[in-house]
Amino acid sequence: MQQTLTVPKINFTEVFSTKNGAIYQSDSEGCWYIDFAGKLARFDYRNLLKLKKAVYQIDIEDRLLNSTKSADLEIIFICACDHCYVLSLLQIIKMKELLQGTFTMLELNHIIFDRLHRITA
Amino acid sequence: MKDIIRVKCLLSSDVETLLNQQIKKEAHSSAIYLSMASWCNRNGYDFSADYFFKQAEEEREHQLKIYKYVLDMGGTSISPDITNIKLEYNSFREVFEDALDQEISVTQSLKNIAARCQKEQDFVTLEFLNWFFREQREEEYKARRALELFEVIGEEGTGRWQIDKHVGQIAYNSEA
Repeated sequence: MQQTLTVPKINFTEVFSTKNGAIYQSDSEGCWYIDFAGKLARFDYRNLLKLKKAVYQIDIEDRLLNSTKSADLEIIFICACDHCYVLSLLQIIKMKELLQGTFTMLELNHIIFDRLHRITA
Repeated sequence: MKDIIRVKCLLSSDVETLLNQQIKKEAHSSAIYLSMASWCNRNGYDFSADYFFKQAEEEREHQLKIYKYVLDMGGTSISPDITNIKLEYNSFREVFEDALDQEISVTQSLKNIAARCQKEQDFVTLEFLNWFFREQREEEYKARRALELFEVIGEEGTGRWQIDKHVGQIAYNSEA
């Protein structure tokens, strides 16, 4: 008997992308998918905010000026989240750029929604 | 594209940060009042100590009010850590001068949040803040009145004892 595997259909909308990665939003699931560092990871609202906080907290300038011989790797671990990132300093800069762009686009989307809803109401 | 963040949380991240700062400020105020109560009690001003205990309690209530509001609106409230609390005061009068300064700075920071809400058209938080502005009217009045007692009674002789006795009776009952 032949088994058919049905992949659930998920509609993605691209929120923001750079050469190095992209973030998509799934309206039906109410979450975001981050395509970065070779994997696609699903983030819900809380976890996305935690990821933003974790990445923004890294003092990039301090890492750049740091001359110790320790590895230039950062483990981004988020509480109660299935994903974790092990990123080099360059990747962190790229990740930050991606997140900044994403949050700007989400903010813009919010402004558009806010204005439209108020007019139609 | 849906506005998922708005569905989850009413507050913008800026307003949420400001409210969390205010939570910290109220907690700090509460801790300062406790320290003032301790100083007054140690120096024999028992009525003033009671007054400050009550103030500390009130500030704590304010803190919780904002704390719960942020949570109710879908935000993340942060339990603050409080350090650097002044333990010693040079004089009885200085305690009340500091108290007034503290209240003024709380009013200022509330104004700052309201200004931000106005800019963002966050009328919900603006309405929530109204209660605090009303409260600040009372707080500033009480702190100012306490300092006035130093002027009208004077600190000479049994002056400080008199002032201490009257501090507990300060009440604000404006209907306006």
